[in-house]
Amino acid sequence: MFTRQSRWNLYLIAVVAILLIATIVFLGIRANNEVKDIVEQQFTSQQLLLNQQISKGIEEFLNEKVLLIEIISKQESQVPPDLFTSYFKTIYEESSGFFSIQFINENGTVVSGYPEDDLPIGYNLYENNQSWAFERVQKRQETYITGGVQMFEEELGSFTWVPLFHEGEFKGAILSIIKVSDVTERFLESYGSSGHVYLVDKYGMILYDSSNELQIGNQYSDLKNESNLQQIAILQEQINGTEGSGKYFEDGRGGERIVTYSPIGWRNQRWSVGITNPVSDVDSLINSVYVKQGVFIGISGIFILAGSMWVILLLSKWNKILEEEVASKTREIKQSNELLMSANVKLKELDLLKTEFVSIVSHELRTPLTAMKTSAEFLKEDNCDSSVRLEMLDLIIRNIDRQTRMVSDLLDISRIESGRIKFNPVITNLHEIVNLSVKNMDSLSEEKGISIHVDLPKDLPHVRTDKDKLIQVLVNLLNNAIKFTPQGGNVEISSAEFNDFIEIRVKDDGIGIAHDLLDNIFDKFYQIDSSTTRKIGGSGLGLAITKGIIEGQGGTIRVESMPDIGTTFMFTLGKQLH
Amino acid sequence: MKPQIDKDILELIEQQPNITNKEIARILSLPENMIKERLENLSDTRQKVLIVDDELDALTALKRALEAENYNVVEAADGLSAIEKVKAEKPDVVLLDLMMPEIDGFEVCKRLRSDPLYKHIPIIMLTAKGDISDKIEGIEMGADDYVTKPFNLHELKARIKMVLRRAQD
Repeated sequence: MFTRQSRWNLYLIAVVAILLIATIVFLGIRANNEVKDIVEQQFTSQQLLLNQQISKGIEEFLNEKVLLIEIISKQESQVPPDLFTSYFKTIYEESSGFFSIQFINENGTVVSGYPEDDLPIGYNLYENNQSWAFERVQKRQETYITGGVQMFEEELGSFTWVPLFHEGEFKGAILSIIKVSDVTERFLESYGSSGHVYLVDKYGMILYDSSNELQIGNQYSDLKNESNLQQIAILQEQINGTEGSGKYFEDGRGGERIVTYSPIGWRNQRWSVGITNPVSDVDSLINSVYVKQGVFIGISGIFILAGSMWVILLLSKWNKILEEEVASKTREIKQSNELLMSANVKLKELDLLKTEFVSIVSHELRTPLTAMKTSAEFLKEDNCDSSVRLEMLDLIIRNIDRQTRMVSDLLDISRIESGRIKFNPVITNLHEIVNLSVKNMDSLSEEKGISIHVDLPKDLPHVRTDKDKLIQVLVNLLNNAIKFTPQGGNVEISSAEFNDFIEIRVKDDGIGIAHDLLDNIFDKFYQIDSSTTRKIGGSGLGLAITKGIIEGQGGTIRVESMPDIGTTFMFTLGKQLH
Repeated sequence: MKPQIDKDILELIEQQPNITNKEIARILSLPENMIKERLENLSDTRQKVLIVDDELDALTALKRALEAENYNVVEAADGLSAIEKVKAEKPDVVLLDLMMPEIDGFEVCKRLRSDPLYKHIPIIMLTAKGDISDKIEGIEMGADDYVTKPFNLHELKARIKMVLRRAQD
């Protein structure tokens, strides 16, 4: 099916195509990974920023609280009589966030505090074996903060111990308790993201975890699978108080998570806020970008496609219009070609007719000349007797007349054909003209014993026509009628009146004309039977001239005929309207 | 028809040398003047010219001129009667017009040339057509000469004489 060469070409094309596809896929994956990396970095740094903000907020909050208590401890030279209760009240009410502020005297007994409800007045630390922190601040003479401590209310609290000294003498300590949940409620629970936020202290104890509250109070490392080294490493970093970010695989659900962490420095305490978000969030972010891009590309594609379709439709429409135009032009050219061809054929026919006309004219002119010349030469050279001489002279005169008629007919037809014929129309009485014409034919009709009847109504309206030419027409028609009517026949002239014209009819009961010959009867030199015509004499131009005269004045001429019955010529003349 | 009449008349005269025209007419039951005409014709020793032309005036003029030259002139006005006349009169020469209705001069010439009895009769074509092609066609048809109308009478008579002399040779 394929030649070797073409098969190799196919392989080559397939290989090139595969290579191209692989390159595109590779580039696509690389670009995707790069995008993912960049977005992940951006995401992580943003998360870290948020993380720092949260940590900073908590740090400021906590340190402010400690500072307030320390200001009290430094302000008074000795324990006031109300045992700081008014101070505590003011601080408690003006600065929200304290759970309880208590004064413990140098003996380790709670002596005052605020708020006063559930205040353990009289509670002695030494008696209850809770004095290690008290003893520590007394010894070190500096503020000390405990980590998350389980309080009576089964909640985690943070205890800040501020020692009180007066002139180097230990006067007791002010204990302020801040519930960890107050801090987390204030700063962490408002963290509205798909991710989790958690808080650990420097011992790795979970102070807050938005993902699972049950872990609160537990050691983070105990609860996590020890095999999750990544997470443990991150936790270690947090315990060390550093700031950063990382990734780990979550157990159970198995998704990778991005984690950021930022420390909170609070005197001797160090907490760390961690935020985790699933990497899939980044993917979904990228995917949402891709989806948006896809939608954009899709819509653009649809627009481009629709635009292209529109352009194609428009072009094809134009093309169709153009094709139609070309087709119609071609048709026109074809039609004009056909017209030209038929015109050419007609011209050839006309040329042939012209040649024929010239030939006929030359014959018609030569014939009388021949008779005249022969006669004249005969008369010149012979002493013939008088009767023959008279015959010859008559013959010459007759042929001169014939020649004259012929020439005048030819001039007429030439004028008619070239449109140079001049009419001299005057108001004409038809009776007068018809009578004149009939009188003209008297000798001929008498000779053949043919009677001419004139049957015109007395009140026949006048016409406007060229008198001489009308006589020429009538004489010609009468001449024809007499010529083609046998001895003793009848010729009749009648008329019919119409709205604005009059029709004159010249009717004979002569030999008639065959139906198929009627069409050409008005043609030049058309003689139905030349021998008959010749015998009778005629140029063959009479009817052509008659038609030219009638039509030249706006009339029409027609003929009806039946062989052996007779012929009627009818022509119209315009009425003289007043 | 006419040769038969001539034959009958000659037979009667042979049998009765003194027979009168009247008696011959009675025996053959023909008009007397016809017998007279036939007898004159039989005794005519002039050379006979047949003029064929549908133009009566041209024919008449030529006829008078040739009669004055002492030719016996017979005439025909169309092709068919020309052939009839040739057969009846056996002319010594035919002056044949070309343009005629029905059978034209070319056709008459062709028919005469194809008939062994008449093909020796010389033909002079007369025509108003002066085309060389017509002349050539005429000669090819077997015409002995070709004269264009209007002709010089003197020339035509000379040509007739020449044709007749050539025929006698």
